[in-house]
Amino acid sequence: MGRRLSRRAVLRGAGGIAIALPWLEIMGTPRPARAGGTGQARRFVSVYTPGGTVIDDGDGNNRWRPTGTEDAFELSPILAPLEVIREKLLVVDGLSMASASGEQHQAGIVAWLTGTGQGGDGYAQGPSIDQVIASQLGEGYPKSSIQMAVRWGTGKSHGLLHPINSAHFEDNATFDPIPPRLDPQAMFDGFFGSLDPEQGDFQARLERKASVLDLVDRRFEALAPGMGMADRHKLEQHLEKIRELELSLENLPVPTAICSVPERVDTSGYDPQTGLESSDDGSTVDTSTDEAIPEVGRFMMDMLVMALACDVTPVASLQWSDTEAKHTFPWLGLMQHHHYYQHDGGFRPQECEQIMVWYSEQHAYLLSAMDAVDMGGHSLLDESVVFFGSELAQPPTHSKANMPFLLAGGGGGLRGGRFLRNDGLADVSHNNLLVAILNLFGDERQVFGDPNYCSGPLTNLT
Amino acid sequence: MGVVRTINVVAFSAMCSCYAGVGELDDAGEGSMGSDGSGGSDSDGDTGEPLGCGVDASERATLRRLTRFEYNNTIEDLLGDDTNPGNAFPSEELANGFGNDANAQSVSSLLAEQYNTVAETVALRATATPEKLGELSPCAADITESTAAAEVDACAASLVEEFVARAFRRPLVAGEAEPYVELAAGVRPQADFATSIATVVEAVLQSPDFLYRVELGFVDEQGRRRPTGYEMASRLSYALWGTMPDQELLDAAEAGELVDAQSVAAHAERMLADERSRTMVRFFFDNLLPISALSQLERDPERYPLYSSSMGALMREETQRFLAYEIFEGPGTWDHALTAPYTFVNQELAEFYGIPGVEGDAFVKVDLDPEQRLGLLTQAGVLSGTIHSNETNPVVRGAFIMRELLCQDIPLPQGDILEEVKPPDPGSGATARERYSKHSEDEACSGCHAFMDPVGLALENYDPIGQWRDTENGAVIDPSGGVPGVQVVSGPLELVQTIAEAEQTHVCFVEKWANYAYGRRTTKDDACTQDRLEEAFTASGHDVVQLLRELTQTDEFLYLAPEGE
Repeated sequence: MGRRLSRRAVLRGAGGIAIALPWLEIMGTPRPARAGGTGQARRFVSVYTPGGTVIDDGDGNNRWRPTGTEDAFELSPILAPLEVIREKLLVVDGLSMASASGEQHQAGIVAWLTGTGQGGDGYAQGPSIDQVIASQLGEGYPKSSIQMAVRWGTGKSHGLLHPINSAHFEDNATFDPIPPRLDPQAMFDGFFGSLDPEQGDFQARLERKASVLDLVDRRFEALAPGMGMADRHKLEQHLEKIRELELSLENLPVPTAICSVPERVDTSGYDPQTGLESSDDGSTVDTSTDEAIPEVGRFMMDMLVMALACDVTPVASLQWSDTEAKHTFPWLGLMQHHHYYQHDGGFRPQECEQIMVWYSEQHAYLLSAMDAVDMGGHSLLDESVVFFGSELAQPPTHSKANMPFLLAGGGGGLRGGRFLRNDGLADVSHNNLLVAILNLFGDERQVFGDPNYCSGPLTNLT
Repeated sequence: MGVVRTINVVAFSAMCSCYAGVGELDDAGEGSMGSDGSGGSDSDGDTGEPLGCGVDASERATLRRLTRFEYNNTIEDLLGDDTNPGNAFPSEELANGFGNDANAQSVSSLLAEQYNTVAETVALRATATPEKLGELSPCAADITESTAAAEVDACAASLVEEFVARAFRRPLVAGEAEPYVELAAGVRPQADFATSIATVVEAVLQSPDFLYRVELGFVDEQGRRRPTGYEMASRLSYALWGTMPDQELLDAAEAGELVDAQSVAAHAERMLADERSRTMVRFFFDNLLPISALSQLERDPERYPLYSSSMGALMREETQRFLAYEIFEGPGTWDHALTAPYTFVNQELAEFYGIPGVEGDAFVKVDLDPEQRLGLLTQAGVLSGTIHSNETNPVVRGAFIMRELLCQDIPLPQGDILEEVKPPDPGSGATARERYSKHSEDEACSGCHAFMDPVGLALENYDPIGQWRDTENGAVIDPSGGVPGVQVVSGPLELVQTIAEAEQTHVCFVEKWANYAYGRRTTKDDACTQDRLEEAFTASGHDVVQLLRELTQTDEFLYLAPEGE
């Protein structure tokens, strides 16, 4: 990675006392060398949408599955908006989330990225692949991974972290569920604050923060050994996060040709914490926040793309709500909540399709934005792997067979422009997809998640 | 989940064809404990204290981190900052129902970032003016740019030492303040005095000694590990007030008190008589009862013109004031709270209820119509808070009472059954009883619904906004129902009496309070502690303040886990 003086090393050398230091070039982090679309994948993005898709519209038509052969296929009505990015899109059909055991919706979101069933506390029994990838790739970035969510915490979760809305689990001994960031303004400040030329005395502030965290770090370190095992584990887990913060101060993004501060969007009509006031059945409606979803979603996608391009993080995820999805879609003229159209009001295939098509449009936006970032001969999308999924395939039956998965990008040799039917492999477990994705990042394992449901990586991604 | 004494668990599991494992919002009944309270008592370890069970008898919560509620209160007491900055942290997990389950607390990257950001802004506010600095230490108010360096250093040193000790809720060991003093000194060449102090505040608010209730303890004369006086001060203040210890507690710790059951009890009694305990009790009931989001409920204004967001807020106030009165001024028992013939309303609420003669915004005590209302469970807030549509739902009302008041959590349907489940067609029956009749007629449903619906059906005289009604859609309402496993009833008043008299209600109340006070979910292994608390609760006639006092007299509260755990 090139020679770099650790800020902490210099500060510590003077007995931990904060010293004002000029911002020396040598203290910046050299950007990791960029692979040119070959070799291992460099970025991972996961995108979650609720309620699967329309597998059977009541007349036996599958509105999601493309028609045709692997290389010559027609996109379905629901996937049509992704036509613009077809060459980099891989439709992965025919997988089932066999490892998802537990409650209908919860088990699905918990298993989606982990390939494990719900444990005693309702959460996953293993890490999610994005966290595994972040452990391997994340060093040297201000954040090893970021999780964002739009209109999250609806229905029964009442805005709290809950198996009903948790998709990401730490790569540590206890696989703790990770709460996503909800506030678009806080995200903006958190990711791009250092790039903002308005922040005058930023340097001095940074020095002080580093000294503060250094002192806190040392106190955690001193305190932990004297405690019982369970308590020590808690402190050590917290200390890990403090250290992440310290590193993030040392590895700040710098403006470049491709990295610039996105435009800040006014999201004042949007209440990121509106989930706290939600009711179990979604009858508490927040119209102002729901109306802002398209704009906030777009803002978050812009930030996500720029966070990758600015090397804030190599791993990002976006959740469009959660498995409850008890919010309305005023811009589509749908005044009931999504779960109502899934089955609470009886399955409504037309309304569900309308929603799924809209999500496809958002996916197309995200992928096109990633494809437009030139990393030097290839696009950001080319060096990434993007994984789109849901917690089940079919809302009325909660079936998790034939999951509507999509991959996109070119990272690790991922080869787009294809429709993978996984024909004749009758119910291949999606764990095989998860481990194949890990392989794209240079992780050579052959099994991931619950081993009872993993027979090895899919071989047709590249 | 709680001692299942009055319900035949075996029959329940056999009948309930939809019981299949993890319930959606809580763990399924794993806590069926011994039925006669004899489990786990070890008289050898018993030091003669009435609630002793032997040191090893129960589990302990792991290291407890301040919850947002506690963080907010502590920041207010420590720095006079009442902006509730902790609300910026990601919400706690529901876990034990009160968001303070220590075993479910982990720190995400987001939370660590938030601790950092919030500490910075709180620190800035706390040092924004000479007056604010003066609150930290009198010498600090007079520091200006021209003050001599030596004087500035001396003031900073004394301020920091005192502040860190206060924030850590204990005296510092020799040299412990030095790194903080040095931190401030290091900042001063480039920044002003206020900034240097703010930097220390920022560090302190992220330190483990502040964010966690560290209990290193000591070994007493009987060879048992227990919290030090200062650590006990924090245990008491957070359990009974939800905030850091007050000066009296700290003085007691300094004087060598708080290391025996008697002095702990004495302080507990003082603290329960103090206003601050009401804040904690309010928080408890905000989480136990469905009343904290009443102002966000939506009702069809044409059908329910009397309901509004401000009415929802008033309903919550009614319930909270009623409980505060009952517990601290009135008869004080949980039975009475459930069956009191009065409530507290202001003019707006009185008009809502049709109670004459109340004027103005102040809340006053009024008698209830004895034909229609009795106690906590017939208050509009509790009745409305369980309903999230424009129709009543006996299942949800029943399930709420069973879960929160009787500690019986009925798991949600799964698999094939779930696929059959559809909300009833509003046109399928004039009354809720008719619309939900499938639950009792269909064998696949009745197994579980027999444990919820009868409770809710007995409350059908209260509409979705808690108003009394004798008919629904023109049909006369049949309010008969029952408390499963206890008794059938002919209407809501009898239901409420039955609940108040059921043993399980009081067992459950103890369990909920233990979960809250001890920061975890009680399990089978806590049978002895639970039984002792229940005995004391029963002996006091179910007095709530007494229960809170008794919670400080158990082994779990008075002692630490033995070494090596």
